[in-house]
Amino acid sequence: MTIIQDILIIILAGYMTMDEDGIVLLTYFPVIVGFVTGLIMGDMHTAMVVAGTFQLMMLGVAALGGASVPNYGLATIVGAFVAIRTGSGIKTAIAVGIPVGLLAIQLEVLRRIIANFVAHKMEKLNEAGKWRQMLNWGYAGPVLCFLETALPTALIVFAGPTAVTMVLKVVPKWITDGLTVAGGLLPVVGIAMLLHYMPLKKFLPFLIAGFVLAAFLKLPIIGIALLGLGAAYWYFENEVAKSNPQTTAVTPNSAEDDYDE
Amino acid sequence: MTNKENTPKYHVTKKDLTRTSLRFNWICVNLFNYESQLGPSLVWSMAPLLRKIYPKDEDYKASLRNHFNYFNTTPYLTNLVLGTTIAMEERDGIKSLEAVQSFKTSIMGPLAGIGDTIFWVLWPTIMGSIAGYMALQGNPFGAIIWFGVNILFNIMKVWFFHVGYNSGTHLLDTLGNKINIFTEAASIMGITVIGALVATVVKVSVPFVFKFGKVSMNIQTDVLNKIMPALLPALFTYFIYKLLDNKKWTPTKIIFLVIGIALLGTFCGIFKA
Repeated sequence: MTIIQDILIIILAGYMTMDEDGIVLLTYFPVIVGFVTGLIMGDMHTAMVVAGTFQLMMLGVAALGGASVPNYGLATIVGAFVAIRTGSGIKTAIAVGIPVGLLAIQLEVLRRIIANFVAHKMEKLNEAGKWRQMLNWGYAGPVLCFLETALPTALIVFAGPTAVTMVLKVVPKWITDGLTVAGGLLPVVGIAMLLHYMPLKKFLPFLIAGFVLAAFLKLPIIGIALLGLGAAYWYFENEVAKSNPQTTAVTPNSAEDDYDE
Repeated sequence: MTNKENTPKYHVTKKDLTRTSLRFNWICVNLFNYESQLGPSLVWSMAPLLRKIYPKDEDYKASLRNHFNYFNTTPYLTNLVLGTTIAMEERDGIKSLEAVQSFKTSIMGPLAGIGDTIFWVLWPTIMGSIAGYMALQGNPFGAIIWFGVNILFNIMKVWFFHVGYNSGTHLLDTLGNKINIFTEAASIMGITVIGALVATVVKVSVPFVFKFGKVSMNIQTDVLNKIMPALLPALFTYFIYKLLDNKKWTPTKIIFLVIGIALLGTFCGIFKA
């Protein structure tokens, strides 16, 4: 029974990357992969608590323009797997998950460097007119994606979750506690990256408004999002009305600058 | 642009479009590389259909060579772009390649702006916080809804491909001006939500107790919270935001810095898990 779970977990981890970088059904968002992990491991409650923890850590983290970010989805799978299998708690899941999620950044970069060679190979095959072969080389992409997350997961599964928790027991408490603290701090990186990506200078008042509504008035995020939607609607209508009277088609070049890194 | 062709033209069918869209959505970022980014994925997904459009080997080769070029925009909206380029190449054949390339180059910036803001900032942030807080209670309901919406998104992506084919250039031309306004409007919503995230998701507290003789003072509850709620998260976000201005501080380095600060702070007893 456990061997079937082991294999399913490894397949889930590998498929996750193919899916996230492909059709985006399962995604690598912790709550969804955590749900599947819960189904496989037969402990929905623990899996969802682990997933929720990593999901909140991940808010604001977006892989924009090809940037690599910590893989909190992989952290969820591996963390929940170890926590459920050994019956140890959420802290174990975090202590295992965060390092694995970080390691995955390097693996993603490595995979995309290898994909560079694949791209060149495909270009050469096109020039040579070997199109059947070119299309076959395309499958290297999904294979690499699968391996990127399946391999580290397999390592942990085969090393045995008990071995992992044994190691964690030797590790001093301030490190595991420190990683939990880091979990609360890490969203800041994603949020700061997002702010760099958005036209912040132009719309700073809205950042302050969102902050005040949440920090002082404790409004739930969906309420704040709806207020933001209202503001967005008002802005859109205003700007369109402003640009319409002069029917000359003005080409908007200046606005693009905001999105350049 | 419309010139009479000597070779009999292939008529792209609806099935062709759906199939090519599915091929693209399946391979998508799987072939992402740092040099041409989505280039190889475009080639891989469109090759079978382009073969039908270009019966001559040399034309086919030139068209693929064109699509190997650098391209990157939000995958959801790439469907719109590819549908349009298919229509252009079907109509004008090999003569369209230059127009195809400049269309792709000019549209990917604005589309990435709007697509990333909606599909990678707004949606996962709002859905993620709702589903995330549900999950903390052990409740998978938010996750199931999210998965359901992803299915709808996939139907939408295929639909985008058809829209691109049927009215791509026309649609994107008329949108022209409005795309930027729409992106800005969506950014307003995004920035408002991010402001809320700073206050709710970033968790730093310093339950550090100062003792002066008999008077003890908890830094977090007696000092910081009295100034304003979520003061430390706000300051910390500002610090990391400024740090990102410096090109030497890549996000990965900053992540390790943050973990370092957390470990050190916990070791010294400033932070508590």
